[in-house]
Amino acid sequence: MKIKILFSFVLFLALIGACEPKTEEFIGNKGDADFSRYIALGNSLTSGYADGALYKSAQSMSYPAILAQQFKKVGGGDFIQPIVENEDGLFDGKLVLGYSMDCRGESSLSPIDADGNPVGYPAAIQPIGYTVNNLGVPGAKVTHLIFSGYGNPLGLQQDPPTANPYFVRMASDTSASVLAEAMKQNPTFFTLWIGNNDVLGYATSGGENNTSNESITPEATFSYAYELLINTLTSNGAKGALANIPDITAIPFFNTIPAMGLLLDENAANALNEAYHQAEMLIQSMGLPNFSYGFHFKAGYNAFVIEDRNFPYPVPAALRVRQAKPNELILLTTPQDSIKCAGMGSFNIEKQHPYGIPQQFVLDEEEIANIQNAVKAYNNIIHQLATQKNLAFVDVANLLERAKSGISYDGLIFDTKYITGGVFSLDGIHLTPQGAAIVANYFIEAINKQYHANIPKAEITQYPGITYPD
Amino acid sequence: MKKISLIVILAIMNYSGLFAGGYQVRLQGARQSGMGLTGTSLISGASDIFYNPGSLSFLSNKFEFTAGGNLVFSNVEFRSLESDYIAKTDNPASTPFFFYGAGKISNNWAAGLGIYTPYGSKAQWPEDWSGRYLIQNIALSSIYFQPTLSYQITDNLSLGAGLVWVIGSVDLQKALPYNEHSYVQLNGSATAFGFNIGVLFKPTQTIHIGVDYRSKIEISLEDGDAEFHLPSSITSIIPTNNKFSSSLPLPANLDFGISWQVSQRLLLSLEMNWVMWNCYDTLTFTFAQSGELLNNKNPRLYNNTVIPRAGLEYQIQSKLKIRTGVYYDDSPANDDYFSPETVTLNTLGFTFGLTYHPIENLNIDLSFVQLMGMESEKNYSPGNFAGRYQSTASIPGLGITYNF
Repeated sequence: MKIKILFSFVLFLALIGACEPKTEEFIGNKGDADFSRYIALGNSLTSGYADGALYKSAQSMSYPAILAQQFKKVGGGDFIQPIVENEDGLFDGKLVLGYSMDCRGESSLSPIDADGNPVGYPAAIQPIGYTVNNLGVPGAKVTHLIFSGYGNPLGLQQDPPTANPYFVRMASDTSASVLAEAMKQNPTFFTLWIGNNDVLGYATSGGENNTSNESITPEATFSYAYELLINTLTSNGAKGALANIPDITAIPFFNTIPAMGLLLDENAANALNEAYHQAEMLIQSMGLPNFSYGFHFKAGYNAFVIEDRNFPYPVPAALRVRQAKPNELILLTTPQDSIKCAGMGSFNIEKQHPYGIPQQFVLDEEEIANIQNAVKAYNNIIHQLATQKNLAFVDVANLLERAKSGISYDGLIFDTKYITGGVFSLDGIHLTPQGAAIVANYFIEAINKQYHANIPKAEITQYPGITYPD
Repeated sequence: MKKISLIVILAIMNYSGLFAGGYQVRLQGARQSGMGLTGTSLISGASDIFYNPGSLSFLSNKFEFTAGGNLVFSNVEFRSLESDYIAKTDNPASTPFFFYGAGKISNNWAAGLGIYTPYGSKAQWPEDWSGRYLIQNIALSSIYFQPTLSYQITDNLSLGAGLVWVIGSVDLQKALPYNEHSYVQLNGSATAFGFNIGVLFKPTQTIHIGVDYRSKIEISLEDGDAEFHLPSSITSIIPTNNKFSSSLPLPANLDFGISWQVSQRLLLSLEMNWVMWNCYDTLTFTFAQSGELLNNKNPRLYNNTVIPRAGLEYQIQSKLKIRTGVYYDDSPANDDYFSPETVTLNTLGFTFGLTYHPIENLNIDLSFVQLMGMESEKNYSPGNFAGRYQSTASIPGLGITYNF
């Protein structure tokens, strides 16, 4: 009797003890969309370019690759990328975090050249020989995507080049366009994120270099090309998602060196005031007796001195300077050593003349307005077409806007700061894998909404951010 | 000139919490564990030192010693919001235990000592899981030492009080976002005092009413060890060996119980526990070095809870009693500040137990508690970590009582 009771008690324990926690299962659903043949079109952001290069591991975690992986859970097909079998990249330029010695002999952790062995010419432009789903082409503007011959190697020799080495590698023949490569695969679903480079070239050259490759694409041109893209891509009934252009002036490339970043102690401030007093006297002696720069340097943070392209007087170029306004932007590529040791942004002690940061490293108010207005116009076009064609609209502009003040995911805070922000890779322009996952989730949200789908989101912290060296 | 170096990295550091909140462990007596964890109005012998010191003077033997423990097998499953990502804890069993010794000093007086563990938890999440920047693993334990006196005022009224001395310790680990292997490990221990007072009243021969109050105890860690495992490029900014202080409340409890000896064989027990969790408002960490970068405050905003419980005991024969019980425990955690370090869901508990009385002075108690957490969607809004949680726990227990 006792034994029996004890025995059944123990059995009962064993039965109950077997129960494990189980959350309600996630039920994926493709909704009205069909992801069996997904094609991604875009520029470097789409290609997986990061840290100043197109390299293997970053490509494998591009936002389209992450998207495709999630699509697969709701019936999506294989997603082939033009992977560069090299961690150092297709071409030079990859950055890594490391130690570098500055002109003062101070060593600090900063992005430095990876110093690796990228593929390089001519192997880099050898056609890969297979069809790819990721047609993101670094450097592509909207008109490039419809240009037949963008993959013709002969076009690389022209000045300015009419072809793009990244697309030469992918193109199936010399007369192919990116759009044609997409249509050849009869996509059931596409994503398009294009237009950043239509302002970025202008912006990264400080708004100075107005060659055809660096100027802002006119709104009408953008509209024409974009509409052609959408009409063609949807011509077979494909569904898709269009991403708009974030305010590129908010990315770390333009916001790491602050306009008010000239740090002086009291002696240095006095010396600068004196030096500019001398320069003013020089200009006064040139027949401008009332001239004054109006500078007043003090201990602490001061505005950098920059070249003034609208300087009102015909004095020697070096004297045509002003102080930057707080909202003006100084580019990440501004030579640090020149600022630290040669007086760029303050005064050239050695040559005893004012030393403004050259215009090619500065976006002034007018240039910023040019960029922002163009982006606004492009975004109207994109939004309109998305609505018209019932395509998912991915508001990446809003994402970047939110990121300015920091957004949290999974216990981490992401923002637009260089390196520490976690979203942007070491080039200050392109995404980290974590940033790509955040963008992919924005796509998924928009696609789920537009097509009544239930695609599972990607896990952001399952992707790497910036990795600090040992 | 802003250096392109790493001054601001620590902005991303966001410690989350430390101690288990909703993991009060009331498994402090084998008889009570079988009866829905009621005990405030029962006369159970030496284990009344925890449940109601007021009952202790009704001790029926000259001396009584009780020792026992439980094995808590608990696990949690988490699924990310709008995602198919799942993570499951692989918790080691935790082992709350108790020891009580009590004796009658005179007809009216009884005294005793209790050593028990009413707060504690263990959680072991996968090292690389999505919530790793909030918690990877945590082990919290507390041991209470409670010398107790109980005085019987009249035949049907008795008071009791105990002084509580606690030693609490914590050990937790969470990932840091510098490379794949960065993490911080925090551990420390501290002691504190509190008290436990109770009264037992017998309005009739068959009805007992008990009230017990256990004070809030604040465990203040002063000199905890913080070990940062970092890539060497960061160690100039964050020292690898640091000290931290933090503080965590073990909340006060006010318990009301009523029991009814329905018949010779059947005893019924009802109880309400009012747990004053609202003292757990913010978890703050202060570091001895690089404090301006590392210090942080984490909202928890717990709510008070009331736990209803019911239990019964049935004497099958002179040597065997069986028990069962049920209770419902509301989660004290705030839905928007719900950290995976302490997964505390609304929980339904079923309990079972028996006492075997083989020889004159010896009782052997077995108990089993099954907890079912109700699946729920929660968010840790400061870190935007949201998902669905479900938890279960299976807790076999054993107690041995010897009296003479």
